[in-house]
Amino acid sequence: MSSRRLMWIQTVKVALSNLLAYRVNFFLLVIGPALVFFFVKYSLWSSIYEQQGNRELAGMNRETMLGYQAMVLIVSLLAQGHNSTRLAEDIRLGRITAYLMYPFSLFEFHASSFIALQAVQLLTSAVVFMLALSLGLFAKVNLAFIGQGLILCCFVSILWFLIQYCIGLMAFWLEQTWVMRVLFQIVAQFLSGSILPLEFFPDGLRNILMYSPFPYLTWVPARAMLTGEESLLYGTGILMFWIVCAALLARLIWKKGLTMYTGAGM
Amino acid sequence: MMQSELAIFCENLSKNFRIYQKKPGLWGSIQTLWKREFIEKAAVKPLNLEIRSGEIIGLLGPNGAGKTTLMKMFTGIVIPTAGQLRVLGFEPAKRDLQFRKKIALVMGQKSQLWWDIPAMDSLQLLMRYYEIPEKLFQERVGYLAKLLEVESQLQVHVRKLSLGERMKLELMACLLHDPQIVFLDEPTIGLDLIAQRKIREFLLNYHREKNITLILTSHYMADVTALCQRIVLVMNGEKHFDGSIRAFEGLMGQEKYVKFFFSEPQNENHPLLSPLHPQFGNHGLEVELRVPEDKLKEVCAHILKELPVTDFQTEKMPVERVMQELMSRTGA
Repeated sequence: MSSRRLMWIQTVKVALSNLLAYRVNFFLLVIGPALVFFFVKYSLWSSIYEQQGNRELAGMNRETMLGYQAMVLIVSLLAQGHNSTRLAEDIRLGRITAYLMYPFSLFEFHASSFIALQAVQLLTSAVVFMLALSLGLFAKVNLAFIGQGLILCCFVSILWFLIQYCIGLMAFWLEQTWVMRVLFQIVAQFLSGSILPLEFFPDGLRNILMYSPFPYLTWVPARAMLTGEESLLYGTGILMFWIVCAALLARLIWKKGLTMYTGAGM
Repeated sequence: MMQSELAIFCENLSKNFRIYQKKPGLWGSIQTLWKREFIEKAAVKPLNLEIRSGEIIGLLGPNGAGKTTLMKMFTGIVIPTAGQLRVLGFEPAKRDLQFRKKIALVMGQKSQLWWDIPAMDSLQLLMRYYEIPEKLFQERVGYLAKLLEVESQLQVHVRKLSLGERMKLELMACLLHDPQIVFLDEPTIGLDLIAQRKIREFLLNYHREKNITLILTSHYMADVTALCQRIVLVMNGEKHFDGSIRAFEGLMGQEKYVKFFFSEPQNENHPLLSPLHPQFGNHGLEVELRVPEDKLKEVCAHILKELPVTDFQTEKMPVERVMQELMSRTGA
């Protein structure tokens, strides 16, 4: 095995150990999202449909809506778990210094930590999936559709990681990056169909949105897993395009940002 | 000396930082929303320095003098504004992979060990990063752990270690890959006296054995006097002194400071004491004198004979006194 690969594997192992270091924290990380789903989204949509006399909304009945929302949660766990809080804090407090000196780059380190987190998120999403399945939230389960959605989720998670990495790197210039991160998350949640399915959006807006990366973050993979109506090839192609854009942007920000780095606190 | 024979070579090396200034108070905060004033601060002014392989150098200076910025430039953490810099023949700012494998940095105020896992896990991670063969890694861990007396701490979570134990493990983590230059930024800060002494002893023994280059910054003059062969004094971003410890001690002239303790108060105008710039304390029961080195024996014998001396001591830290004197002269 190449030494580079061994470096990655060891970093993933250490990052995993770090995630498992606190038992209660780990337990909440695994079951927390399911609890939030049932306390918030399940109750909210059940109540909305009840108020509407169980009529269809934007072509979706109560069961399809709850199935969609459960799938949105699974997609967000599989692809949108990573955030840049740690990176921004490390830059601001000068903690990236060690990684500027190791023969293993900061990007590689964060990417390895992201892989470790994804492993935990995979477990969490499996828990949520089994729970939703046992409650009959998915009308039909097609393994081919699920496989197709999982492939899309892999690409989405890479894009999400790179976007978060770019936001984190902004800490070279900004003392606080959380506003930017929260704004992005709110916009992304809304425009990706995470809060409301894109079926609720006017056709014109939805058509415009399809040129942006947002629908591919949630709506496309969720629909792919539920209905298999999305083209895998087209979806991965679009995601690949945005991944290349985000990677180039991250490289540019890193190069510029490094000239601003002062190694504070040393 | 050829550039290639040097561990560090810098010529006209400088670093400017752009600092934003904010007026105090709420109105100042509101003003900064549309207008910000920046000033350029020269952290290091054009500086020349040559360090040979195997030397132990003390980079001294008050806070904000520029010594840590110098260290950051040597390690490639910050990019110089101007000048030439070569460390082991590499340009640090390019952060070449081979360069990174040859240097190490110990930061007294920052940990490179993972906080929530045992130190051994961090060491194994470093084994992979520096591509150390498994067998060699085990040997080095065994050797360093024994030398630093931390064998039993390797499996303990880092957050549960004392500061002294953590610093020893930090040192261990830095030396695992057998670096040619080790940069030590206040390695004994916050440690008790015994831990400080042990760290110093370890560094001296390790240097003796491996002949690596050590670059040290410390505010503890005991570190400097125990470890450094050469001192580079930096003040306001400029090099004020570069030479041996003996030469540094001699900066204030060839005088020794001697303190006498008496059983009864002494007159400030006593003819034996007054020519020696006496500094009285404790209501005349103590006095510190500046005695020319060549007259030290004679003057001390005379005072011991003539006055009711209960105790006396010569200064322990001439370097510290020179530092204090230089800093007060320059207003640092």
